[in-house]
Parts: sequence; structure tokens; C-alpha cells
Amino acid sequence: MVEVTQEQIAADLEGIFHETMGDWEYSGEITPDTRLFADLGLESIDVVALGGAIEEHYRRNFPFAQWLIQMRDQQVDDIRVKDVIQFLHDNLKNPSVGESQ
Amino acid sequence: MTNRVVLIGLDGGTFATLDALMDEGVMPFLQAFLASGVRGELLSVIPPLTPPGWASLVTGRTPGHHGVMDFFRFESPHNSYLRLVDSRDVKCETIWSIISRQGLKATILNFPQMIPPRPMAGNAVPGWAPWRHLRRLCFPPDLFDKIKTVPGFNVQELAMDLQLEGRAIEGSSKDEYEDWIQFHIRREQQWFQILHYLMQEDPCDLTAVLFDGVDKLQHLLWRFIDPAYLPAHPSAWEQRIRELCLAYFRHLDGLIAETVAMAGSEASVFVASDHGFGPSTEVFYVNAWLHRHGYLAWAVDAPEDATEAGRLGLGMIRRAPVMVDWSRTTTYGLTPSSNGVHMAVAGRRGPHGIDPTEYERVRSRLIEQLYQLTDPVTGGRVVTQVWTREEAFPGPQVHMAPDLTLSLRDGGFVSILKSDVILRPRPEVVGTHRPQGVFMAKGPGIRQGLSLPPLSIIDVAPTLLYTLGLPIPKDVEGRVAAQILDPGALQRSPIVVGEPTQIPEAYPQRPGHKEDKEGETQVLERLKNLGYVE
Repeated sequence: MVEVTQEQIAADLEGIFHETMGDWEYSGEITPDTRLFADLGLESIDVVALGGAIEEHYRRNFPFAQWLIQMRDQQVDDIRVKDVIQFLHDNLKNPSVGESQ
Repeated sequence: MTNRVVLIGLDGGTFATLDALMDEGVMPFLQAFLASGVRGELLSVIPPLTPPGWASLVTGRTPGHHGVMDFFRFESPHNSYLRLVDSRDVKCETIWSIISRQGLKATILNFPQMIPPRPMAGNAVPGWAPWRHLRRLCFPPDLFDKIKTVPGFNVQELAMDLQLEGRAIEGSSKDEYEDWIQFHIRREQQWFQILHYLMQEDPCDLTAVLFDGVDKLQHLLWRFIDPAYLPAHPSAWEQRIRELCLAYFRHLDGLIAETVAMAGSEASVFVASDHGFGPSTEVFYVNAWLHRHGYLAWAVDAPEDATEAGRLGLGMIRRAPVMVDWSRTTTYGLTPSSNGVHMAVAGRRGPHGIDPTEYERVRSRLIEQLYQLTDPVTGGRVVTQVWTREEAFPGPQVHMAPDLTLSLRDGGFVSILKSDVILRPRPEVVGTHRPQGVFMAKGPGIRQGLSLPPLSIIDVAPTLLYTLGLPIPKDVEGRVAAQILDPGALQRSPIVVGEPTQIPEAYPQRPGHKEDKEGETQVLERLKNLGYVE
């Protein structure tokens, strides 16, 4: 299996964001430090939908629900793009979740 | 092409409400429609809930086969975290896909489990889509730019607003009722405008639209809709809310009338709901009951029910797994909507839980105890029916189901919150789901003025396929509702049984999708071979 680099994941995420952002009220640049809630103005359901878009892109499932709850329990008040990149990078090394169900 | 068959979905539609509204003259078109068509109750599935109900209606299959049993599902076989169900979880082929393979086209608006979009011939604007993502979630990919041109288009009103959706479940401030009803009137109008545009610009063999404000209003405002709960001497404010509820249904009646008029006299029109509705008067705290009987241990910081009405926000539902101390829990309710009880079996989702060899014994004992639960005041039984997963969800997806599914005496949903009481009267009556939905049909070859015995929700898909002149796949569990047809119709157009359905791919490629440019030619070729595109 070819490892997907963090740079590639960042590029993939940018593509996913830009696929829909024409209708958002956000026109700034997306960087690793961009915050999903405070900067992009997303709501929790948008993050769920973003997870779906990411899964569709990579054609596999990720444990987003577990990760998001763990982030909240760690008192993380916002999610940065680099957090998403790191999460995806960690998980792309491992088998997909949920496929045997 | 003409709009040959139209399916109008009324989420939570029930004759308990609609008959009274027709009698009062609020829905005159629907009354006339039924006078020249057929009607009958449409029996939903277990549980009578939006995702499994619509999944069954559009596949002709039961939840044990299509795998949709709740709004949520386990994210992984290895943990107890939840995610929303989506199109990937529908394990059976939908009628949209079946007719596309047969060279027909469909327009589908506002149906659940349409995300991520699946390839089909026609147009799909999904329900339950956050507005920021709607562009990406429409099919075909350029559809969003087309519907943006519809006069008055407002994506934030059209698409899902989580705060508003949540209010149907969590409750809402009384100050907000008026705005909330007005919002749903505008929202139905938004969907109708898109329906109108697509029926004019791109007529399809099958056109389906779902109006879901019926469910939302009935949940929150049942006491203003059901005449049985109207106060004898309503206040001015109560009268105002009642009038607004009637205005919603009057508006809906008008939208149905315009839709039927657009379809024309040669079209067949079906109206159906995913489940019915009725009042709920009390809250059963299932996890508090399990705790009291030694099956469940709360996490140290599990919050008490602060609302005293069993209300639980959507965000909290996803946090339900962290409310429980898993090392000391063997049985738990995970979501209120499923009315399900899950058993922790060692090795199933981790090391904790009962020994697998003890499963049957523990489950049987649990069923006995649930039936023994009585109201301390009246002595009445609270849990009126308990189904095992094998009884409620027979089929290849049975392993996705709760171990037990409950039906309560007031037809309500359980609360999974922590509480110091097991049973609590609701401060005010709310609406909750019932199995008895609605079925109505009118068109060429359909009988007139007939009231039928109850139909099954899984009969709708094969009936639509028959009306479109298509064979019924032999693995569809439902049957053509031949009782709605004129005598002789079956002789003229016999039911034909055809090839089985095709199992949907978890991640189908979509032609025109941005990340798919390189493989687009190959994908198009494959879709052509499957009959999805011409």
C-alpha cells in the first residue's frame, strides 16, 4: 500500500473544501491553522458532512464519531485543519472501520 | 416526456390528523383527491421511524434486509460510537436505481438516505443535507447551479438546519412556535418551487417529493393539531398557534393540488407516509430502569435529565456512549429513536459484557422483567411489546439491530437519560410515531372512492414499478397492491416478475465528480453497461 503523505491529504482537503465553498460566506485562504468552527463558521452537522465527503473521497470509513467525542472530552474547543490532516494520516495507515458491518 | 408517476411523501402523515383537517375544510383538494381515488392505512416497519420507514418504502424491503433501523448506526464493529445513517447503509437497491437501470428517469426531492449521492438517471436533491454541502450532494453535480436559478431560491431554508431539526425532538420555546411554523411553510414552498422547475424543465417517468414539515409540526404541536387535545377555552395565543398549524396544512394542500395539476390527468399520483402519529403523554427512562435492575452503570459525570421531559439533543445522542461505564454495563439503550436495548456481549464490541453462552438466558430474563414493569399508580403495563432482533429484523442485516426493541403503552420513544424516576408524565402532550401511516392513489386504472384494508409500506415500491410498466424484481419482499386497481387492469397489464435487484456499492463513482476526472471515462462506460446512463 502506498502511504498517503500529509501534503497529499492537505491538498485533498483543500479540494473538498473548495468543491462547496462557492456558497459559503468564507472567502479566506485555508491553511493548516484554519479553525473549522471559528474561522470557517461550520456547525457540528457540517463537520459530520465533511467527514462523509472525506470518506467518499478515500472510499473508506474513518472513526470520526469517536475522534470528535475524544477531542471534546480533551477540552479541545475547535478543530484545526491540521488536526484533521493528522487524524486522516494516522488512520490511512490502518484498515478501514465499519466495513465488516 | 411527461411526468407519468408522481409520489408525494408526507413524513409522519396520518389519517388521525388529515381526516379531521379534511372535515374542517382545511384540505379540500386532498378530500377531492380521495373521492376520485383510493385510500388506506400504510403499515410501517419496526420501529416506525423515518429512516427505516422511507428505506423500506423505496426498496420494497424490510429493515432486516436493507439494514436501516434508526437515525444512527454504530460507527465501527469495534466501538459503540454512533454516526448518522446515509445512503451507504441502504444495502438494497432503491426504486430510483431500479428504474434507472431499465432506461427510465426519476426526480427525487428531499428524501433521506440520499447522501452521498448515487448514480441514477435523473435528478436528486437530498433531504437531511446541511446547506453548506448541498451543492456537492446534488445529483447530477451541475444540478445545484440549475436550481439556484429558481425564483426565491434560499438554500438555508431549503436544506437542513440542525438547530431547527433538533427542536422537533428537543422541544422549543413557546415564543418560537410562530416563527417555527412559518419557517416550515416557507420551506415546503422552497421544495415545491424546485419540484415545479424540474417537472417543467426535465419531466421524468417518476417524480418524488417529500414534505417533512408534517412530522415536525406534529411532534412539537400535537396538542394544537389533534382536536381531542384542544382546550375548551383556548387563550388568544393558543388560538393563534392553532390557526398557524391549520395554515401550514392549508398551504400543503395547495402544494399537493398544484403538483397533481402539473402532472396532468394521465399521470398516476401516489401519496404515502413513512409512519403515522399519535399523542405521547409520559416518558419511560429505559436506562434508569436498567440501572435499577443492575444491568447498567452510569459514568461518573453522566448528566441527569435537566428537562424532566426526556428531551435529548442530537449532539447528546452521539455522546450517549460516554454516559455509561462500560466496564460495569451489560445492557443499555443507545438512542431514544430506536426504542432499542442493546446487550454488551463479551467479544462483540470489546472485552466487557456477558458471556456469549449466557446471552439467551439473560435476554429472556430481561424480556420478562420488561413485561413486569407496571405503572405504580394505575398498575398498567408500560412496555406492551418486546421484540427480539430475530423477530423484528429477520434478514442478513439482523446483526445491526438492537437485541431488543420495545413498544410503549403510549406509543412514545424511550428516554436514555439518567433520571431518579422510571416513569414521568410529560408536562405537555407531544406527538410521537405510530405504525399506521397513509396511502392514497389516483390515476388511470386506479379505483375510485375506495377505502382499503391496511397496506404494507413495502408494497409501495413494487406498486410504483408496476405502474411504470416495469417487472418486479423477484427478491423484492413487497407485492403489487392489486386491490387498488380497476377490475380487469391486471388482465390488461399482468404483473411481471423480473431479475433480482442489484446490491448497491458502498462507494459508487459518480460521473462528473471532481476527484474522479481521470477515471471518468471508465466509470461512464461501466454505468452505461449497467443502464444508468445513455
